Amino acid sequence: MNLSRRELLKMGLVAVCGTVIPLSALEILTPEAAASLIHPFSKKKRWAFVVDTTKCVGCGMCAKACKLENEVPFDTEVQRTWIERYVQLKDGKVIIDSPQGARYGYTKNDPQGKEIKDSEVAKGLFVPKLCNQCEKPSCVQVCPVGATYKTEDGVVLVDRGWCIGCGYCITNCPYFARFFHPITNTADKCTFCYHRITKGLNTACVDSCAFGARKCGLINDPESEVFKILSTERVSVLKPEYGNEPHVFYIGLDHIVR
Amino acid sequence: MSHAWRPVFVVLAAIVFFLVARVILVPSDFSAKNGDYKYQWHRLSSEQYWKDFPVKHKGMEFCGMCHVPILEKLKGGGHQNVQCENCHAMFNPEKKSHPIDLKEISGYLLNIGTDRSRELCKRCHAELPYRPSTYTDPKKGTVKFKMIDPDKHNPSMECAMCHDVHSAGFKTAAK
Amino acid sequence: MEGHMAHGALWTVKELFTYPNEYIYWTITIVVYPYITGLVAGAFVLSSMYHVFGKEELKPVAKFSLVFSFALLLMATSPLMLHLTQPFRSINIMLTPHFYSAIAAFTIVYLSYMAIVMAEIWFVFRPFIIEQAMEKKGLLGLIYKAMTLGSFDVSEKALHTDEKIIKILAAVGIPAAALLHGYVGFIFGSVKTVPLWKTPLMPFIFLMSAIISGVSVCIVTYITGMALKRNFICGASIRSMCKVLVWFLVAAFILEGVDIIFHAYTAEESWGIMSELLFERFAFNMIVVQWFFGMIVPLLLLLLPRLTMLRAFISSALVLIGVFTMRWDVVIGGQSMSRSFAGFLTYKMPIIPNSIEALKEGPILITMLLLMPFFLLFIFNKILPVFIEVFNEEDCGFTEGLLSGKDSAKH
Repeated sequence: MNLSRRELLKMGLVAVCGTVIPLSALEILTPEAAASLIHPFSKKKRWAFVVDTTKCVGCGMCAKACKLENEVPFDTEVQRTWIERYVQLKDGKVIIDSPQGARYGYTKNDPQGKEIKDSEVAKGLFVPKLCNQCEKPSCVQVCPVGATYKTEDGVVLVDRGWCIGCGYCITNCPYFARFFHPITNTADKCTFCYHRITKGLNTACVDSCAFGARKCGLINDPESEVFKILSTERVSVLKPEYGNEPHVFYIGLDHIVR
Repeated sequence: MSHAWRPVFVVLAAIVFFLVARVILVPSDFSAKNGDYKYQWHRLSSEQYWKDFPVKHKGMEFCGMCHVPILEKLKGGGHQNVQCENCHAMFNPEKKSHPIDLKEISGYLLNIGTDRSRELCKRCHAELPYRPSTYTDPKKGTVKFKMIDPDKHNPSMECAMCHDVHSAGFKTAAK
Repeated sequence: MEGHMAHGALWTVKELFTYPNEYIYWTITIVVYPYITGLVAGAFVLSSMYHVFGKEELKPVAKFSLVFSFALLLMATSPLMLHLTQPFRSINIMLTPHFYSAIAAFTIVYLSYMAIVMAEIWFVFRPFIIEQAMEKKGLLGLIYKAMTLGSFDVSEKALHTDEKIIKILAAVGIPAAALLHGYVGFIFGSVKTVPLWKTPLMPFIFLMSAIISGVSVCIVTYITGMALKRNFICGASIRSMCKVLVWFLVAAFILEGVDIIFHAYTAEESWGIMSELLFERFAFNMIVVQWFFGMIVPLLLLLLPRLTMLRAFISSALVLIGVFTMRWDVVIGGQSMSRSFAGFLTYKMPIIPNSIEALKEGPILITMLLLMPFFLLFIFNKILPVFIEVFNEEDCGFTEGLLSGKDSAKH
């Protein structure tokens, strides 16, 4: 086969460009930007949350801080945020508990109140939970009086002066993030500390977590840690089958988590 | 007109009465924001209620305004990410022991005291088979997490007897 | 416990893993609410059988079941009011209704239905009211005068119009009653988080059980009322009511059976815990009381030849108990399975009213509430002649003859 000089040059150029262009393309597009091309987040201002279960040690400081910050009577057995413990034994049995919502933390290997030997445990994890501030909140959909609503920036709130206390929202939340506040006698739930995040502060639970297991931020802000994690890491949500589009994203979940 | 219309008039009167009552009783700021009747049908003033909710946890920047040496000690040690309120905010108001009334002076609303119980330290430092054994520090990277078996590690002694909880080290003999 | 108790903690016992905020939020009041609306719908359908379908043998119970339906209807919202944690704000549901919610339209459906029932009662008793308004003096006279709505027209033509309107109202009332109660079924059936409730069959299951309970309560009340007054009870009316009861019992049984078979066959994630609920924790309630004594036994009793008054009474009473248990099993049973599918909640009704909440949620108010419709019926009977068209032996024999004539003509 006879190759002219010109053809050889052309082929060489194509080969060089072919190897160089993808590399340079990757350089221009940061991983975040590349990910956002695949899954573009809306430009709309929207709060979201990331929970890294691999970092949670189950100290329950978040649950304590939340109760004090949001004036939910400390000893009432309701929680705006709580931590669940999942322990799988070597015989395959799974034990789950969340004593007092873990606002006093986990200090013993005693799932469901029964002490077990460390050697029996195959694996375990702590899963902090809070309101998922769903994009399509079924609790809001079912409120008959318009006493609960989603703000423009994606946080679901309750109007304490208008709620009639029918409990339909509580029943319709797949996560049981709602309860009746014992003093106002109206439905109550996590607000992502709306009074703090709107002032540029962290939520009380994020602030109180010494291990960085919780992050709250704007999903559409390229500078926010939440955006960075969502666009580069593998995250999952709880109970997506209900179609609520929850906006609390988890790292390190397990199939035993409910 | 036939008598048969009379019940209709009663119903109409009831409807008119109700509509008038509704105009009076419905708050003026009740509306479907952005035309979103499904998820944003509410009293707009309620949003302000939540924005105005008092902030309580103010963190080490606030406490450090007075407790300068402690803050310095804290920043240099292993507890630098632990907020003062984690240990000092009392959920039991009787345990409040801060010498100055913070509420009066600076509008700080939490009850500040000192909890020296082992239970408090155990929340992080009791060894559990599924408790992460390391943690990631933004500056130092992966750090081994100090955990003890509370049943074997000097039981019945207060942790603060030996440990300086602010610097996260041992108490020096000089003291 | 010192301080504030969580709403629900007073009557909920938690086992294994349940979410911290998980309690039985819908309690006995919500058991009674669909029960009463069911009785309303059933009683109304029964009265319409005479007015619309011209079942002559039901004439003696037509007026009674209509007024009884109204008495029950008046009490239908009271369990809801007891259940709300902010009952004084209940008007909000009318002021700012959010129609995406399955319960927002309830007041509208309820009030429209009430308008239909009240109008029908007015037309049915109009000649009597006018007569009383002209005769009676004093307060009672004033009441009757107000009830005439200012019309004293009892001409032949007017009465003829009345009859036509009654027929229309009774006909419109049937879908309205079905809507009222099917709607209650929808409220439960559309709760996607409770696997026991979430089925498109729910409105129909509720409707069928509504009709059987409504017919049964009419049979029981009618027989008791007549027996107390030592009046003659026409067997033809009772047999006709029992026939309605049988058909709807079969329908209810099939629907509930299909529902359970589907859950078992598709065996979704929730089936594990649901089967434990059905066959262990609620086995006595569901299988023994609800299905065996509430459906199968009454069905057999009614189908045996030569139906007696006693058998009709016993089977109706059993159906009433069965349907109440069914409401209990649906409302309490549905919430007994933890949403985590890994635990159970047990409902323990607070018996001793040592706090406002224990009183609101306890058996005393609920029993009073369930007895109120009977008391209201007693009062209404003082004002309106609810039992005036009771058959005597002669009428009864005539109707029986008519019926058997029809039957033989068919053969």
